[in-house]
Amino acid sequence: MSAIVSGAQPLPSAGDAVRAQKVERLTHVDTIDAVNTLVSGPLLDRRRWRRWWIAMIVASLLTVLFFGSMIYLFAKGIGIFGNNSIVVWGYPIANYVWWIGIGNAGTLISSMLLLTHQHWRAAINRLAEAMTLMAVAIAGLMPIMHMGRPLYFYWLAPYPNTMALWPQWRSALIWDFWAILSYLLFSIIFWYTGLIPDLATLRDRAITPGKRIFYGALALGWRNSARHWHIYQTYYRTMAALATPLVCSVHSIVGLDFAASLMPGWQETIFPPYFVVGAMYSGFAMVVVLCAGVRWGLDLEALITTRHFEIMAKVMLMAGTVMFLSYATEWFSAWYSGRGVDRRFLSFEFTGAYAPLYWIMIFCNCIAVQAFWFRSARRSLPAIIIISILINIGMWLERILIVWNTLSHHYIASMWRLFYPTLWDWFVLFGSLGFFAFLYLLFARFFPVVSMHEVKELVQREATS
Amino acid sequence: MTDIAARSAAPAPRLEISRRAALKLFTGGMAASLAGCSPPAEKNMPYVDMPEGLVPGEPQYYATALPLGGYGRGVIVKAVDGRPVKVSGNPRHPASLGSTDVFAEAALVELYDPERSRDIRGTQPINGWTEFLGELQQWSGKAKRGEAPLHLVTSTVASPTLLGQIASLKQQYPGTRWFAYDPLGGAEGARSLIPRLDRASVIVCLGADPLGPGPMQIMVSRAFIKGRMPESPGGMSRLYAVESTWTLTGANADHRLTLPPDKIDALAMEIVGRLEGHPGSPLPLDKGARHFVDEMIADLQGAGAGGLLLPGPMLREETVQAVLQSGRRLGAPFDRAATFPAQLRPEPFAAFEEILHSGKVQNLLLLDCNPAFDAAPDAKFAEALKKVPFAVHAGLYDNETADLCRWQLPLSHPLEAWSDLTSADGTVAIVQPLIRPLYDTRSQHEILGFYAGQTAPSGYDTVRQTWKQGAQDAGFEDWWRNALVKGVVSGRSPQFALSAGNTETSQPAPSQPPLDAPADSNSFVALIQPDQTIYDGRFTNNAWLQECPKPLSKGTWTNAVSLAPEDAAALGASDGDVLAISSSAGKIEGPLRIDRGQARGVVGLTLGYGREGAGAIGNGLGYNPRLLSPGSLRNVIRGIQVKKTGRRAPIPSTQMHFSLEGDLRKLLPEVAPGGSLPASGTKPSLFVPPPPRDPYSWAMVIDTAACTGCNACVVACQVENNVPIVGPDEVANGRAMHWLRIDSYDIGTAEEPRHGFEPVPCMQCEKAPCEPVCPVEASVHDTEGLNDQVYNRCVGTRFCQSNCPYKVRRFNWFAYNSGQEYKDLGKDPMPARNNPDVTVRARGVMEKCTYCVQRISGARRDAEKADKPIADGELKTACQEACPTEAISFGNLQDKGSMVNARRADPRHFTLLEELGTRPRTTYLARVRNANPKLAGGSA
Repeated sequence: MSAIVSGAQPLPSAGDAVRAQKVERLTHVDTIDAVNTLVSGPLLDRRRWRRWWIAMIVASLLTVLFFGSMIYLFAKGIGIFGNNSIVVWGYPIANYVWWIGIGNAGTLISSMLLLTHQHWRAAINRLAEAMTLMAVAIAGLMPIMHMGRPLYFYWLAPYPNTMALWPQWRSALIWDFWAILSYLLFSIIFWYTGLIPDLATLRDRAITPGKRIFYGALALGWRNSARHWHIYQTYYRTMAALATPLVCSVHSIVGLDFAASLMPGWQETIFPPYFVVGAMYSGFAMVVVLCAGVRWGLDLEALITTRHFEIMAKVMLMAGTVMFLSYATEWFSAWYSGRGVDRRFLSFEFTGAYAPLYWIMIFCNCIAVQAFWFRSARRSLPAIIIISILINIGMWLERILIVWNTLSHHYIASMWRLFYPTLWDWFVLFGSLGFFAFLYLLFARFFPVVSMHEVKELVQREATS
Repeated sequence: MTDIAARSAAPAPRLEISRRAALKLFTGGMAASLAGCSPPAEKNMPYVDMPEGLVPGEPQYYATALPLGGYGRGVIVKAVDGRPVKVSGNPRHPASLGSTDVFAEAALVELYDPERSRDIRGTQPINGWTEFLGELQQWSGKAKRGEAPLHLVTSTVASPTLLGQIASLKQQYPGTRWFAYDPLGGAEGARSLIPRLDRASVIVCLGADPLGPGPMQIMVSRAFIKGRMPESPGGMSRLYAVESTWTLTGANADHRLTLPPDKIDALAMEIVGRLEGHPGSPLPLDKGARHFVDEMIADLQGAGAGGLLLPGPMLREETVQAVLQSGRRLGAPFDRAATFPAQLRPEPFAAFEEILHSGKVQNLLLLDCNPAFDAAPDAKFAEALKKVPFAVHAGLYDNETADLCRWQLPLSHPLEAWSDLTSADGTVAIVQPLIRPLYDTRSQHEILGFYAGQTAPSGYDTVRQTWKQGAQDAGFEDWWRNALVKGVVSGRSPQFALSAGNTETSQPAPSQPPLDAPADSNSFVALIQPDQTIYDGRFTNNAWLQECPKPLSKGTWTNAVSLAPEDAAALGASDGDVLAISSSAGKIEGPLRIDRGQARGVVGLTLGYGREGAGAIGNGLGYNPRLLSPGSLRNVIRGIQVKKTGRRAPIPSTQMHFSLEGDLRKLLPEVAPGGSLPASGTKPSLFVPPPPRDPYSWAMVIDTAACTGCNACVVACQVENNVPIVGPDEVANGRAMHWLRIDSYDIGTAEEPRHGFEPVPCMQCEKAPCEPVCPVEASVHDTEGLNDQVYNRCVGTRFCQSNCPYKVRRFNWFAYNSGQEYKDLGKDPMPARNNPDVTVRARGVMEKCTYCVQRISGARRDAEKADKPIADGELKTACQEACPTEAISFGNLQDKGSMVNARRADPRHFTLLEELGTRPRTTYLARVRNANPKLAGGSA
């Protein structure tokens, strides 16, 4: 972090009026105390949460919609969605892949960038990790909502039962079950342990006994000792090293859900790597959107700077280009295979009933991101946000089209059929976004959105250098 | 009006209640409610003396017959614990030959339909049979005195007992008149002959649809395919169809020409002239059609006595007679259908309308017919019928006609009553009940018995009386027993009490007036045909038939208005647009279906829809084409205007794509007679199948050349396997549940569209793609090669169907059969229809064809008891059993002599999507097209 020393003074720990003034002025952070104040301040006082409340009301309504739809779904049956006997998969599967993809970026930022010493990550890794956690949790709900008999979802787990039956290990869905589960558990641990030093900071700075007890319990007795730090660093880096293969495995296994089949458009060896890149792509796009929101909501311009966005834009440019290459590879191999079914499938993608969506997807995922070749676009916050939202839309379209195209246009011509979504499909999609926002707002309200100890480390390093 | 009605009209005396009286009433009411607040005590008792031969849970089979269009088809009905659960064909019966059609298969739904008429309905809610009989007695007295002669209206009657009863009623009450009509309308003569397609070598159908639905469908289809087998004596027959709209016959033709109805009529006369050697001036046709006609006639002439020219009911009666007479002279292979003595011939419907509108009808019995819907659905008829003081309707349903009558008498279902039925070919079968009447109903014979003055008529005795020869008939009981067991009557003819002096035998008037006003160029000609799954409207409330896809269009739950693509383009209408069809007499609206291969200027309409009194299932679906010319029973109506309404009502359909472009053509290959498909050869594989662990390896071979697309297998499978009905909205959502579907493909060229059918059950792949993807191992393989679905284990991820290249799996999106049924399908007694050997699936589980695993288990049990292997042909799947053309064979691959092995060695054998390496156990034989080489250039 290239913090530029400004004329800011060490800040007192409390005093709203004073802080309000200082926040106005704080465009650069150069001391540890400034970091503490900036990040933990909002968590410890009661004011300054109007924007939060407005967002929270909207998110809560959508959350009610999400769970209301879920209850209706469980009561009425899976038939409320638009699926049919031919296009048996639909929105929940696309939502699942999309949320998992988003969930990928957090750990990627935390672990890979940590291991590769990309120090700029410190400002955004906490919020990216939280995003991962919530996205994966929501993604985990989707397959359950997709099932015909959701009450038996646990049959996918190998538990001792009177039927003496185990899951079927050859099924990609079982691999998937384990991939999500391990990723979710890992993400929780990684995110929580990364929080511990910051929770201790919050404990120390808390102004009410309630908050002191709350954060104190969560801080697990962190005392900031050198021994603590030593153990922590070793542990954290080990976890990061473990996380990297997980990041790749979770989404390649999601890719295998499709690739380990017999259907045109799914049966492709490129799917696992292309899914991982796609996940990183949509994940970074989501991180950009969240960073922009959090930065605006919590006045963190000093910590999350234009440079962060620029770096992320570069990553997205790389990922978008790889996506384009992957699509092109798919198209080429479909044509080059010479199989009638693959070629028909290819022409269905570009000219069939879903073709307008396919073209939008190509625009969002491959074309729009090319703007980031230009420095001006990379440094323009509105441009970055718009392109990131486009990428998220494009990646969702990619997932739904993977499901729709193959299931709608396969081997037996008599059974070609299209998917028409119902209101409930949309409710679940937007409800899940609302629930995500709801969880994220709670996180932003009660936990430090920026990893204080890592930023402090940076500040210290810069001060000494 | 009768005095009952008069009394009810008088004001009721006002009741003055004192305090004491009120207390008494309270006490009485209290006592009554105490006694009445629990259901009457009923005790379930086990059998003490077991009925002979009855083993609980073991099915029993009874031979009987079911009517269609009045004629019978012999069937064998399976009953479990006294409950009929499956209808199959009776192999001894020539109109069944062991096979069924959709209507016979679906008869059970009618039996268990909760909306059947259960109680007698009069003008008062309290009316019962006693009141009816009281009233009947008065009217019978009047009839006897000649004051109010009885008028009896029926649809086609082919029951000897009923005919006998009508004849004796006529004697008993002089002046009695009997009118009958066939709701299908059209030329009578066209339906009076049985084409022997097995003996014909060239068949020309002029608007005729011998393979289409009807009482002869099964036997004609069987004969047709017999003549199509390459090994048949005269070589494979060639079928030409000249028609205006698509029929099953046209779909199975080698060559098909589309012409509007009057041109077909003229063409028929031209052909007759040329065959008989006095050609007139040829009909003006365009060059391609002329070439077709000339080659067709040359082929027909070349066939000599093997040439068969079939007129359709859309032709004029005179044309039909001319064609039939010419055929008789030239020795064409057809038989005359069953006929009855002239004295037993009814008067036409037109005569009834005449007398009804004259206001002379006072005493009217409408027996098992629905003219207010299927013959004269106009207000004039309704008004006239309402005015009849003693109008009685006896029917299975309280339908449109019943609504206009004073009395509705609930009729017993053919599966509940004694009767007898003649089939179209003249074979008689005794109809025996499978179950006691579910409600307080009477059979047709019992109702006529009431009319004859009997106080407690018994259908059983009446039917036996018909067949008893004299009072001293020693051999009767043995004969009767034998006739019941076999399901076919032999060696006796019915005893009619015919009066010699019965003079009012009238010739059936031509039901279709001669060609009326010449069609002007702006108007269309409407052609009305029976619906391929609903027939004439009798089955409108039958959900199985409603959901059964129409063979060619795959539409369900409604009838469509079909137009040629050029006509649709001229209107600017597309599939599913609602069109308004109007004639001088009426107007209807229906969704458009654009049919490639329909004559231009023709509007294709089908019967059976547009009902308001059918019941919850059938009401409000489609349109009634009879509204275009009510009362006439005409099937060709000229001067029709067609307009777009601007609304849309897409037809719920089970198939959306019909053409086979490029290499998709390999899904349904076709060869010339004697031709073979290129051998695929067995390629080396890493997955060598392990040696079988059981003595059976089940396999199925389906001959697509023999499939006429009749759908009997589809409904048979549905009945056998408790496959649920999902309703029109769910069909439109793409969720029809049929385990067995018949894919219909447009395999013709741009000039000559043709159809091909391909039944697709589960392929039972040896390397099944559905199995490894199931996360909970609900899709597993058994040792006999079946790909089993374990419903209890299924959690509904639907990965199996995603990965099924054949898309044969069906998912229970809702509890279609267990709590979320369509409309009243869950109401008692409907669940009684379920086959007790098959699980009723829950919501959220996947299901699919099992090769009728319950039948396999049953056969295995029997074989093990007898300590011998299951012989080839002993075990039949439901679809195989139903198929009129024996297109489906099923058996053991390990039995070298089995039919499936023989068919697998056929040069026409192919595997669907063989390149995927799934190794299906269900395989196919290619279609055969016996094209005329002289026509092949222009049309193949």
